[in-house]
Amino acid sequence: MTNQTNNLLDLKGTVLNIQRYCSHDGPGIRTTVFLKGCSLRCKWCSNPESIRKRPELSYDLNKCKGKACSLCLKAPFPEGAFYFVDGEDAHVKVNWHLAMDIDTEMALLCPTGALEMFGKIMTVGEVLDEVEKDSSFYRNTGGGMTISGGELMFQPDFAAALLQEAHNRGFNTAIETASNIPWANIEKVLPHVDTMLHDIKLMNSERHKKWTGVGNERILANLKRAYETFSDIDFIARTPLIPGVNCDDEHILGVLEFIKPHKNVIDYELLPYHRFGLGKYELLGEVYELDDYKTPSDEVVKRYQAMIDEAFGRKKETPVN
Amino acid sequence: MATEIGNVSALKRIAIMVGAGYVPGINAVIIGAAMAANKMGWELVGIRDGFEGLLNPEKYPDGGLLILSPQLIDTIDPSAGCVLGQSPRVDPFNVRIVDEMDMVEEVDMSDDLIKKLKDENIDSLISVVGARGLTIIHKLHRKGLNTVCIPRSIDNDIASTSVSFGFNSALTFTIEMLDSARQGAQAIRKIVVVEVQGEEAGWIALQSGIAACADVVLIPEIPVDLKMVAEKLKNKISARRPYALVVVAQGAKFINLTKKAEADPALKASLSPLATSESNSEHVIQSSGQAAETVATELQQLIAEETYPLVIGPWVRGSSPTAVDRQLGMAYGAGALQALKAGKDGTMVAFVPPEIKFVPLAEAINKVRTVPADSELLKIAQSLGIYCGK
Repeated sequence: MTNQTNNLLDLKGTVLNIQRYCSHDGPGIRTTVFLKGCSLRCKWCSNPESIRKRPELSYDLNKCKGKACSLCLKAPFPEGAFYFVDGEDAHVKVNWHLAMDIDTEMALLCPTGALEMFGKIMTVGEVLDEVEKDSSFYRNTGGGMTISGGELMFQPDFAAALLQEAHNRGFNTAIETASNIPWANIEKVLPHVDTMLHDIKLMNSERHKKWTGVGNERILANLKRAYETFSDIDFIARTPLIPGVNCDDEHILGVLEFIKPHKNVIDYELLPYHRFGLGKYELLGEVYELDDYKTPSDEVVKRYQAMIDEAFGRKKETPVN
Repeated sequence: MATEIGNVSALKRIAIMVGAGYVPGINAVIIGAAMAANKMGWELVGIRDGFEGLLNPEKYPDGGLLILSPQLIDTIDPSAGCVLGQSPRVDPFNVRIVDEMDMVEEVDMSDDLIKKLKDENIDSLISVVGARGLTIIHKLHRKGLNTVCIPRSIDNDIASTSVSFGFNSALTFTIEMLDSARQGAQAIRKIVVVEVQGEEAGWIALQSGIAACADVVLIPEIPVDLKMVAEKLKNKISARRPYALVVVAQGAKFINLTKKAEADPALKASLSPLATSESNSEHVIQSSGQAAETVATELQQLIAEETYPLVIGPWVRGSSPTAVDRQLGMAYGAGALQALKAGKDGTMVAFVPPEIKFVPLAEAINKVRTVPADSELLKIAQSLGIYCGK
């Protein structure tokens, strides 16, 4: 093994989770590596635990034994980070401002696992060893490794090293990105990518800023430049479809107009909004901002899917009598 | 120039900041603190918009700090909006910024904040904050910030003080609104459900409900089954009295609610790691209006009369400070200066009649002043025939 490879394998990053047997994050059966840290703050985010780059504490009320345990009310836990209120409620309450300083080592002291950390520091070698476990599936299905987030290019060197090493081991590579990063980060990562799934959340920049925290000018410029610079990559555009935010003709047609001139954009996928991330906001002691929003109806999704199929020249199958 | 008054000999420069969310009576606190500081020969400066004026002074053409001179204080209307402006909800340990690379990120600016206070030669900070702000200020104090806190809460839920300023004004305004809602209910012959303030404590709901002769009062401390509420209302409503007034606190908790329809399982294909089912926890404070909506919708299915949800919401923050809050505000402002003069750094000024006390911040946090199960107010409500879930 060369020194360069050794260095690559030793590079460290913050990993949220490694999920095996994924079928929606690129071709074939895949292992998806979720990195921590994101450069957007989408109000509908279903992965709030992926937003901040640093590992952070979660507290699961259902696993906590409350007053029967009380270990977290004593040292070495920070004074005041956990407490009880007067009365019958035996549940531990968390003062999140004081609990945010708790690290992985301390969280492990919780005997029931009610305290856990979202995210851990791993080396490229450790991640790839985990990914390697399903290599036979990749060979049989055309699958491989996908890196998602957060925003994977928030950790560009680590992401690039993971992808490069995956290629070295013969795995297909894919990424899921929102592309709100400097072009220099993209340039580091894309040479090691086979498929890039990228969001286009809102075509209108003002509305993009309202819902995600920043305008979309750089995202669109990055995407256009990526389409033109990396002609060997298969690009798949995606929109998380949210009624009241972007579930309208203007957005869908705007995306189609943006991607269609580029032949290496091979598809446009709709991801109907869901509310499954709500429980995770509670684990982090946060409140979900998009509480009133609903999932789009089947009819609406089908209508927009038909528009996309038509744009990509896919004919609707006629039922056989 | 330093003025010597009593045992205070050195000129001190004190700053005052007001946390997020307007509470009636804030100007009275500022005036009280400024008058007491002036009497001691100390200088009081106000930080604009929470900590914004200190952290980002370039945003302010006239500077991020406002010297609260006696001349300026003479011109401040105690009943008007906060002279120091309004702060967004900011935790200096976790400030969301958009950096020069247009990336959104949360950064710890607490060291920067303490340094800027030192750079401005500010010896101590008076922090006018609610329950959440108390913890943040406590954390800053542990990092070396000299500070005294003044509790403000329209819910009156800060445990170590009997009355936070702002509560009396909010209560008075809420009673006025409930009186109107009651007349409205009579006019439209419906069950009007009014959501009032109170995320964790039901003082406003209970006290305003009693004053406005509500039929039902629902508070966070007593989880209720809305079927029981419906039964009580059926007994109260008649052809001669075809209306009712239900007061519900924002954080009221409900048991045995009708289950929401299951989500389409097909959507689960796009689940992210560690994703859980849709939340049904009672520990999340729902958005404004949700409590009234829940009660009105649920009752609609259980009772023949129509329901009508109303939300007082942020209107209550715009009410004028009452005489009580103006006096309390002045007393709290002056009390903070007394605390600093007495060297009671790291405390919260508490009004525990008939005394003003200084409670260490470590003792003031992590407590909520809730309505106790044996509260006299609950007994009064019950004796008046107001259903409170018990």
